[in-house]
Amino acid sequence: MKNPIDHSAFGNSSVGPSRRDMLRQAANGFAMLPLAHLLGRDASAQASSAIGSNAPPAGSSGGSLVRHHAPRARSVIFLYMDGAPSGQDLFDYKERLVKENGKPFALPKEPTQFNNNGNTLGPVAKFKQHGESGQWISDLLPNIAKAADKLCVVRSMYADFSEHTNANYFLHTGHGLQGRPSMGAWIGYGLGSDAKNLPAFVVLNGGLVPPGGVDNFHSGFLPAHSQGSLFRMTGEAVANIKPRETDERQRRKLLLTRRLNQLSLDADGHDPALDAAIANHELAFRMQTAVPDLLEIDGESAATREMYGCNDEYEQTRTYGRQCLLARRLVERGVRFIELTIPDTGSDRWDQHGNLRRGLDRNCRTVDKPIAALLADLEARGLLDETIVVFGGEFGRTPFAQGTNGRDHNPFGFTMWMAGGGFKAGTSYGSTDEYGYKAEENPMSIHDLHATLLWQLGIDHERFVYRFGGRDLRLTDVYGNVVRDLLD
Amino acid sequence: MLRLHPLLLAPTWANQVLQFPPLLVGLLMLVVLAPAASAQNGSPGPDEMPMAERFDHWAWQPLRAVTPPAARHPVDGFVTARLDAVGLLPAPLAKPHEQLRRLWFDLVGLPPTQEALQRFGERPSDAAYLLEVDQLLASPQFGERWARHWLDLMRYSETLGHEFDFEIPNAWRYRDYVIRALNQDLPYDQFIREHIAGDLLLEPRRDEHGNNESVQATASWWFVEQTHSPVDSMQHQADRIDNQIDVFGKAFLGMTVACARCHDHKFDAIPTSDYYSLFGFVQSSRYVQASLKEVPPESEAYQTALTRQRELSSLWLPDAAATTSGVTFRAEDVVIADASDHKREQDGSQLSNSQWFVSNDAFGNEPWRGPFCANPNDDKPQLRQLPGAFWLSAAAGTQREGTIATATFPLEHRYVHVRTAGDHSRLKLIVDGFHITRDPIYGELHRNIDKQEAHWITFDVQMWLGHKAHLQAIDQRAPDLGDPRHNRGRYPDHCWIALQSVSNSPHGSPPETSALPLVTEADAVRTIANWRDARQRLSDAVAALPVSPTIPAMADGSGMDTNVYLRGDHKRPGEPAPRRFLSALEASATSVPKESSGRLELANAVLTKGNPMPARVMVNRLWHHLFGRGLVKSVDNFGALGEPPTHPDLLDWLATDFEANGWSLKHSIRRIVTSHTYRQRSQLRQDAAACDGDNKLLHRQNVRPLEAEVLRDTLLAISGRLDEALYGESIEQPKEAVTNARGSPGQHGPRDGHGRRSIYLAMRRNFMPEMLLAFDLPTPFATVGRRNTSNVPAQSLALANAPLVHDLCGLFAKRVIAHSDNHAQRLQLAYQLAFARKPRANELASLLAFVGQNPDEQGDDEQGDEEVRTWTDAVHALVNTTEFRFRR
Repeated sequence: MKNPIDHSAFGNSSVGPSRRDMLRQAANGFAMLPLAHLLGRDASAQASSAIGSNAPPAGSSGGSLVRHHAPRARSVIFLYMDGAPSGQDLFDYKERLVKENGKPFALPKEPTQFNNNGNTLGPVAKFKQHGESGQWISDLLPNIAKAADKLCVVRSMYADFSEHTNANYFLHTGHGLQGRPSMGAWIGYGLGSDAKNLPAFVVLNGGLVPPGGVDNFHSGFLPAHSQGSLFRMTGEAVANIKPRETDERQRRKLLLTRRLNQLSLDADGHDPALDAAIANHELAFRMQTAVPDLLEIDGESAATREMYGCNDEYEQTRTYGRQCLLARRLVERGVRFIELTIPDTGSDRWDQHGNLRRGLDRNCRTVDKPIAALLADLEARGLLDETIVVFGGEFGRTPFAQGTNGRDHNPFGFTMWMAGGGFKAGTSYGSTDEYGYKAEENPMSIHDLHATLLWQLGIDHERFVYRFGGRDLRLTDVYGNVVRDLLD
Repeated sequence: MLRLHPLLLAPTWANQVLQFPPLLVGLLMLVVLAPAASAQNGSPGPDEMPMAERFDHWAWQPLRAVTPPAARHPVDGFVTARLDAVGLLPAPLAKPHEQLRRLWFDLVGLPPTQEALQRFGERPSDAAYLLEVDQLLASPQFGERWARHWLDLMRYSETLGHEFDFEIPNAWRYRDYVIRALNQDLPYDQFIREHIAGDLLLEPRRDEHGNNESVQATASWWFVEQTHSPVDSMQHQADRIDNQIDVFGKAFLGMTVACARCHDHKFDAIPTSDYYSLFGFVQSSRYVQASLKEVPPESEAYQTALTRQRELSSLWLPDAAATTSGVTFRAEDVVIADASDHKREQDGSQLSNSQWFVSNDAFGNEPWRGPFCANPNDDKPQLRQLPGAFWLSAAAGTQREGTIATATFPLEHRYVHVRTAGDHSRLKLIVDGFHITRDPIYGELHRNIDKQEAHWITFDVQMWLGHKAHLQAIDQRAPDLGDPRHNRGRYPDHCWIALQSVSNSPHGSPPETSALPLVTEADAVRTIANWRDARQRLSDAVAALPVSPTIPAMADGSGMDTNVYLRGDHKRPGEPAPRRFLSALEASATSVPKESSGRLELANAVLTKGNPMPARVMVNRLWHHLFGRGLVKSVDNFGALGEPPTHPDLLDWLATDFEANGWSLKHSIRRIVTSHTYRQRSQLRQDAAACDGDNKLLHRQNVRPLEAEVLRDTLLAISGRLDEALYGESIEQPKEAVTNARGSPGQHGPRDGHGRRSIYLAMRRNFMPEMLLAFDLPTPFATVGRRNTSNVPAQSLALANAPLVHDLCGLFAKRVIAHSDNHAQRLQLAYQLAFARKPRANELASLLAFVGQNPDEQGDDEQGDEEVRTWTDAVHALVNTTEFRFRR
């Protein structure tokens, strides 16, 4: 049995001489250090010794710190569909829903958020089978439908909460209350970033922060460096990334600061904490260039920008297209976990308690083209194989109407899909009942999803623990199974 | 609206399991049945020990009487002894400026002032150091600094979080309470007692204005997160109380009691029955907005107001006609509470107060009978007559605030009928302690009362059959928990409410009520001659009663024990768990009164002589804040999975010394900071690298980054922008710093927060101050005795580019420019402010070269003044150095 190690020793741990020397170099000049060191990865380094082998995977410059087995994927792009899209209208075709549209719902109904439940509500758009795999996909998503053979669709997801905030926390952190680390933080903490000048967990914010706020992307009890860095699509992309003065003035100031730091260290001596802070200061300076460089997409070919929808007449498509394109660029730069939140379409996210068709039209139009482009682009560049793309919301929606033309929250059965990263392409897994109401065949929990994602990244979710408040905590709590049927 | 019984319809997880395929059932059963599942799944630790043997763990043992090894200072004796054993000497005294800066940051969270630098001088004597310590401990900034440490433990927040981030009205008063308590050096045992049961003290502590201090500590129970519209209200209650027990256990006892929610604690001597024993105390308590300056209804002033009210109404109807309620309950009606009966029982000398739970002073001591004038100041005052006896919130005027509630009762039948009347007031049916009675789902449980004649209100409780509830009538101008922000000020001064009876019934229609003669306006006109004077006398009497501020607080509810929830599942009740304190710490069970919460008894049990936890845990926290690491590193967990103390004798000696000196925090802080161990240098030592590399033995002080608040406050101080005002409502964030999301605050403040210290910035769960978060301000969800100390680019970016930092550096530059025309003298001042020392020759040379050289650029000239711009750059460079950001 492994010994418990206090991974939260962050900040108080001593640093070996070789590392200190390296940092001293950084303080004296502009030595490029692996981000893992710059970000104070001492704690993670300890974690690796507690958790298992810390041999870095081939090709990783940053050094993977947690590695239980050979990873199949390197990065994750989470296309988070805030508000919970309805499977019944997009991916989960049910003949009975079409036939019994408008008739009293035949199964017993659970209490719902609004409890204003009406009759059976059939899909508001037509479905067809697509590709060799014959996946059922709605006409609302024509471009994603063309990528049907890339998708691994799970139609039997279920969640533990039927209210947005709890369900968002649950989806992101494996726990229904505020305060736990987001899966991106866990993954960034465990694997670090291959990127030199960027954090491991980046959230590309399309405009809406989901209910529950930025805590959905928080590091919780993990060291703060693992929290998601929010990149906004409007205004200043990263808080305080933009210098308030000219390059020349800032450079002069930096040189002065560096000189004063040196004189102070000469007089008072080095300390690991001071050395790390100085290295950090240098990284921040470099990020001021790296982040604008990332965001500068004019260098992409006109065809690429067109494919992503960057020139679309619908503003939200342009925004989401840019997000998807940036996601690819982040993957290329070695960022570990990238989450996209959706732009505001004026229909309250995917949360269609009413005006179902209108909301679906707007949201589908926003995401369809960019997502299809992302899948195609990743594949063309040979990146899809090592990148897991995840599509889904915090729960599903009812197969019966709320009022006349809405759907209420339904945690009992919904659809998510994965693509790339060793997930079986052109596959369907699990199913809901005849009405698309509750998961019936092969129900898959959020914990299962987390366990399976970690597995593809080379992490055994049961051995990936962090000591906090006297307990060894996991992303998957005490639950979760790797669903191997989804994997190549 | 037809609702179906959730217990019949909502399949429990067990039901769902039965619908799952056999393989999955098997897997789930493994999780449910294997008690050590989590340990096998990667939560390694000590082998589980029999419960009895766990009492042997050091933290449960009483404080030992220890004699300090001979030394000039007792603390140094303990520390030197351990250093001796590995052949190390303590480090020499830190340089004077390092000592001064350390002391200021640690004690008051601000950099030393010019005066302090002069006082202390370059060669400080021990006497000068002691004087400095005493001055800092006596300064009001001491409370502001140390209150923030305590707020971390209480997960202090002014909102509830989740989707709408509802406000916790008046939460900020608690922050001020803590600052005052620390500045007054309130004995820590009293501080704990007030936190657990400040509302129940027979003689609460009062400030010089007569405000009740003690009750304010109980606000800390209510910084628990809450969601609106949880689908399962009982689950939500269990989660809330879990967090409350978690904070109670960690903050006061250094024990992870909440680990025993689902099973006996895996490693500590805390059986799961202990958890549910504590659960009972919280479940038997209720949320109220408590008045700080309640006027006792038996007091002369209050009685005068009542007398004037009676005089006025007797002018009108000398023989109050409607003496009976006229209500006939049916056989099936379960009468939960009835004010008329209350009177009848009183006459029959069978008074039962336990039926009603009154908070604050609006409702007086007994129900009202006869006519009354709610608002004598109204231009067209009206007299009202309600039939029978009513609890009335306006007998002593509408300025009084308060609530009246029934006992907690099971919802046996589908309908709850309430006879009431009122103006701009509210009735709430609180199910499973859930106060956010709002749509969707809970809107049914909330009624605004705006009809001034007696009438019936009927609640349909189909969804909550079998749950426990109490009915609350609320007359208060403060917003309620869960009110939307635009409701601020919605409740006018003239609100009142009357409550007569509450019954639970299978009938959808209320009980029969006989028609009663109601008084008409004409009756009032009849007595108009005398009415004016009587009204004025009432008005004067009412005005003589002070209006009180309120604070979220605990109040007693019906006393109830709970059952153990098997595996933490509230749908699976196990053995009863009578209320008592931790069995490991208690020789005999706490004697808890049946009819009330018993929190006062709990507080006394926690503070029983012989419970070593509160003192040990607290002195260790002091040590942690003064050295960056506790003698027990895991400051919130003294259990088997925490860390053992590095200096057990010192810990026990400090705890004993703390108790012996009246639980004085200032005394113990003085003890520690006057030791050589605290005052020694922090520089790395080659001779200690091998034998004490991680400095557990304290061969040096630790180098630590300034905490978020200290950093911001220091920038304010050196730039001359600091406003030292104490207390008050929180300062909201500037508009540009708030993301547009649900629950965004409606109000905004200036970028520099009016120059107020960071402790006064609004702590909204979903909208925490970004810059403070970047520097590790914890999000308020659980007790955090030891903050993360991270090192992220966001910190450097903030110091390099945040507009606030630029603004303040501009002010800092102007301050040094104004000081002198001589560059060297300006730099002397800048160094004193930023580093509490003089610049060295090589530093001075670098800076003189910098300010003497103009960058050849034009354009982005914000200051419009070349000199200011150059000096702003220079001091900005100082602010970005590690020396500025760290305390040595």
